[in-house]
This record gives sequence, structure tokens and C-alpha cells, in this order.
Amino acid sequence: MSGFFALTSNRWFRLGAFGVLLVVLGVLPLVANEFTNQTVSHIAVIAVAILGLNIVMGYTGQVSLGHSFFVGIGAYCAIIPIQAWWGGPLAEGAIVIGFVLSILIPGLLGLLIALVAVRLRGLALAMITIALPTIALPLAQKFSDFTGGNEGISIRRLDYVGADGQIYKGNPFAAGPGLDNDQWQYYLIISIALVFFALAYFLVRGKYGRAFAIVKSNEAIASSMGISPYRYKVLAFTIAGVYGGASGFLLIVWGQYTSSETLAFHHSIEYVIASIVGGAGSIIGAVFGGVFYILVDQVMNGLQLAKYSAVVQGGVILVILFLLPGGLVSLPRAIRRLVRRRRGGHTVEAGRPADSASVNTKQ
Amino acid sequence: MNPFGTFVQLVVDALAQGSLYAALALAIVLVNQATGLVNFAQGGMAVLGSYIGMTIGGLFIPLVGSTAGILIGIIGAVAASLLLGAFVERFVMRRFERAEEDTKVVATIGVLTLIVGLVGLIWGFNSIPYPFFFTSSESIRIGDVSVSVWSIVTFLTIIALMGVLQLLFRGTKMGLGLRAVADNSPSAALSGIRVGGMRMVGWGLAAALGTIAAILLASKSGLAPNNFDGILVYALAAVVIGGLDSPIGAVVAALGITVLESLAAAYIPWIGHDLKVVVPFVLIFVVLIVRPQGLFGRKAVVRV
Repeated sequence: MSGFFALTSNRWFRLGAFGVLLVVLGVLPLVANEFTNQTVSHIAVIAVAILGLNIVMGYTGQVSLGHSFFVGIGAYCAIIPIQAWWGGPLAEGAIVIGFVLSILIPGLLGLLIALVAVRLRGLALAMITIALPTIALPLAQKFSDFTGGNEGISIRRLDYVGADGQIYKGNPFAAGPGLDNDQWQYYLIISIALVFFALAYFLVRGKYGRAFAIVKSNEAIASSMGISPYRYKVLAFTIAGVYGGASGFLLIVWGQYTSSETLAFHHSIEYVIASIVGGAGSIIGAVFGGVFYILVDQVMNGLQLAKYSAVVQGGVILVILFLLPGGLVSLPRAIRRLVRRRRGGHTVEAGRPADSASVNTKQ
Repeated sequence: MNPFGTFVQLVVDALAQGSLYAALALAIVLVNQATGLVNFAQGGMAVLGSYIGMTIGGLFIPLVGSTAGILIGIIGAVAASLLLGAFVERFVMRRFERAEEDTKVVATIGVLTLIVGLVGLIWGFNSIPYPFFFTSSESIRIGDVSVSVWSIVTFLTIIALMGVLQLLFRGTKMGLGLRAVADNSPSAALSGIRVGGMRMVGWGLAAALGTIAAILLASKSGLAPNNFDGILVYALAAVVIGGLDSPIGAVVAALGITVLESLAAAYIPWIGHDLKVVVPFVLIFVVLIVRPQGLFGRKAVVRV
């Protein structure tokens, strides 16, 4: 057993495993069926959203209950320019504009909100962010000329003017020759998601990650070290907005559709639950969270048990908080600790001062 | 109706609606005082309580007639929610006593999801009527102003409850214990107060208060599992504006934002009914910029 664990913490083994994962991700859509491709892409879409939540919640310790706001706004920022301009003189440029806007605008909104909300200590962010979807939903329904209201906007069969002046119908995310639509969308989503995961990986391992960690564990110490808790909390929240917006763009690539429902508060709760279940303080945890989010949905719907899904989610989150506060991603570590304890060896693990630290710093 | 009559009616209806927000806001402040956390499940627990009240009432109405049956239902609901609040504190939140703040928030979110899911499973997700003493359409006329009975009863009930709570906190030994635990729980424990028990009482009282508000709401607009989602948001807004440590602040803020909101909806044309939800949150942002600790809150001094 311990040999196995030594292997998993070996740097080269990890790099190799990552390479294998990349190859699997690359080959999968060519051999799998459409449903599998769409499921894996959907997981990636949600994982990007959860990754943003992990940065603000898991790494910086601020609870955001309004993440669906950023995902929904990102989706609108992507779909509205594409609907307006795709196929016209801008051609594919409309998609690029949609992508840029879907990152910029939610990021900017996140920045503005955080500048105000982070002024209050403690739970202010949670209490303020709960308001975001609650305000945005009626607004989206009111301005239905822009947003399509409850029916939403679909660009699956979008009218556009061809070079000959005729009006055609087309899907901006249809594949070129040689690929099916689901395969093309899969590759697009997975590559963008990988970029965002890589950015997050380097962010939390560098200067910013350490600053986030110290802000999370003790703001007074952070201040005394010259790290402004205010500034870093605002930064984390802005990044969460950017990731939420990016996830909204990917949602459009995935389904070519959005409606005001994407903004709804219950999605925010589902993101939070998925984030904790996967492991909020971890990059890979976001992937587990995405898997949890999508699979709970699909399994419950598949078994005709959709009405139980709230109970299952609520129950799972409490059980995880009780038994595995680090989320699914900490399962190997928990097992390792259990094995070691059973052998009667050291129960205290080197490099894991988290338990004692978290008790001391909050009192 | 004359403009003055419309104005009075608007204000009275807003005060009634606002007193529901105030009740939930007060429940949140109570729990925050007792255990130092914000209970996002407060609305969900209140809804569960009101369903229990409806079920008990439904059982007794055929036996003892409608008025007594409804009353038994309400008493049953209050008793059940006292127990529910104490139970959630003892068996769920107590385990997170030493956890970090964000973990506690997520735990209450878990409780909320679980409770709303359970309510949906047991009673269904559709709105059902709540049998009550009067219907929501009854109104009385004072001069040429017509005011709904529901609004008056709701407002007066909540205000009376707040008076009772105030008496309990200021005039009884248990209230003294509750305040001691809220103020400094280690010292309270040293002077022989059962801190855990007091926390359970605090949670129970908060849950009971929420349940009465939920029953009053249900008597007007029926029962649905997500009845209190919107109200929770307003209550939190009131708590942020009024100050997390100030019961009076939370109540004043809840009433104030509702009145302002409904007046803005009625008299500022471009806001209207659709956009009135934005009003309280604009207020939040203004308050947070000017007074981050809330209008009535004390500035937290952190000892390092």
C-alpha cells in the first residue's frame, strides 16, 4: 500500500499520468458515442465554473452564493453578439467577440461587487452574493428583447446572410468536414477548459496562491505581512467572475442556448455543493465537482428519481462535511491516514498542520 | 380612491410584508447571537414548520372544528419547530462549532437543500392552500381607506411576538443566560450556564419565530417548498443593512426597505413592479459604502 502512495506522489509519475490523461481526452471523442462526448464536455463546462468558485471559496475562504449570476451573464455576453453578428461581415469574429465579452463583463461585475461587498468582514460576501441571482433573474425577464426572457435565446438554427445576399440557417458551432458537431464542440470546450485549468494551477502555486492562503487563514497576519486582505479578496472574487463568465461561454458552445433560468439561485447552491463535494481547496477537485454535478443530474433523471435530487445533494454535502471535509479529492489522503493509523505508526502527518491551524486562527 | 387612501394602503401592505421579512431577519440575528453564524436554512426550516402546521391542522379540523383545528395546527407547528431548531443545532451545527466560517455557511446551505428537498418529497412541489381563520381577500374600511385584514393581523402578530421575545430576553433568567452566551460563551460556561443548552434554545426560538412568519405568509399565498427563498434574501438584506448584531436594526431595516420598495414601485414609473426587487440591493450597496457595519451595528474590534 505505502509503495502505491509513494508512487502517486512522485513528480514524474504525476507528469506521466497527466500525459496519459491528455491522450485519453484527445482520443475519447473519436471512439465514444455522441452522448458520452456531450456528457464529458458538459462536465468540463461546469468544472470551469466550479474552479472559479474554488479559487474564491477554497483558496481564499470567501463564500459566494451568487456564482450562477456570473455563469448566466457570461452566457448572455457570449450568445448575444454571436446572435447579432455571426455570419455577417464579422463572420467567425463574432464568436471571438462573444468569448472576450463573456470574460470581461462578468470579471468587471465581479470586481465592482467585490469592491463593495468585501468591505464587510466575514459573511458579508455570502449575504451580498445571494442577492445577485435574485436581482438578475427578474431583470433578465424584464429586458426580454435582449435576453429572450424565460424562453431564452437559441442559436442552433441561426439566420444569417450569405455572400450571395440570401438568408441561410446555420449553427455557429457546427463542425467543419471530418468531424461531427459533438466532437468539434468537445475539442473546443476541452481545450479552453484546459487553458483555464492551467492558468488556475499556476495562479494558486505562485505568489497569489500563497497570498490567498494567508488571507484565508488569518487576515491580521496577512496585513502585518504587507498583504492586503481587501485587495486579494477582491482579486479572488474577480477571478471567480471571470471563470464563471468563461463557463457561460462554454455553456453556449455546448448547448447553443441560454435563458434566464441559467441565472437562478438554485444553480448557485448546486455549484457550491459540487465544489465542496469535489474538494474546494484543490484544482482537480473542480473536476470531481463537475462530475458530481452532472452525474447526480443524469443518474437521478435516468432512474426517474429527479424529485429526490435535492435531498441527495443536501445529504451528500452534509456527509462530506462530516466525514471528508477536504472533498472527494482528499479521499486518497484520508485512506492513507487510515492505513497508517491501523499500522500503529505516526498518526500525525508531516506537512499537514491544517487541523491545528484552523482551530487556532479563528478564535 | 383618493391618492392619500392609496398611499396608506400601500404603506400598510408594505409593513405587513415587511414584518415577515423582519421576523426572519430577527430569527437570523437570534441565531447569529447564539452561535455566531448566519443560518441560510432559516427560511427552509420555517417552511417545514408551516407544512407541519398545515398537516396537524388538517388532522384536527374535522374533529374539533376549523378555528380550534387551525389553532392546534399553529401550536403544533411552533412546538415542532422549537424541536427542529434545537435538533439542527445539536446534531448538525454543533459538529461544526470549531470549523471555519465558510464551512458553517455551507453546512447551513446543506441543511436548506435537504429540508426543501424533503418538504417537496413529502408534500409535493406545487403550491397548496393553507387553511386559516380568514381569507386573504377580506378587508376592512377605515374612513375611505380599505386595508386588508391579513396585513393588519400579520403586522400586529409579528410586532407582538417581538415584544414577547424582548420580554423573554430582558425579563427572565433564561433570557439572561441567552444574552450571556451571546456575549461571551466561555465566561458564560465558567459561571455555570449550560452553553450548549442555551444555543439549542436560541435556535429553537429562531425556528419558531420563522415558522409563525411562514404560516402567516402561507395563509395569504399558499404553501410551496421554495416559499421563503425570496424572503430569505430580503431578510439577509435587512440584516446587512441593520447590522448583524442588532435585533432592532434588523427589524427597522426590514420594514424600511419594504416600504421604500413598494413606494418606489408605485410612484417612480420606470421602476414599476418588475424592477422593485432592485431597490433593497441598491440600498445595501449604499449602506455598505457608507457604514460597513450596518446602520445599527457596532464596529467589530478584532483581538489578535
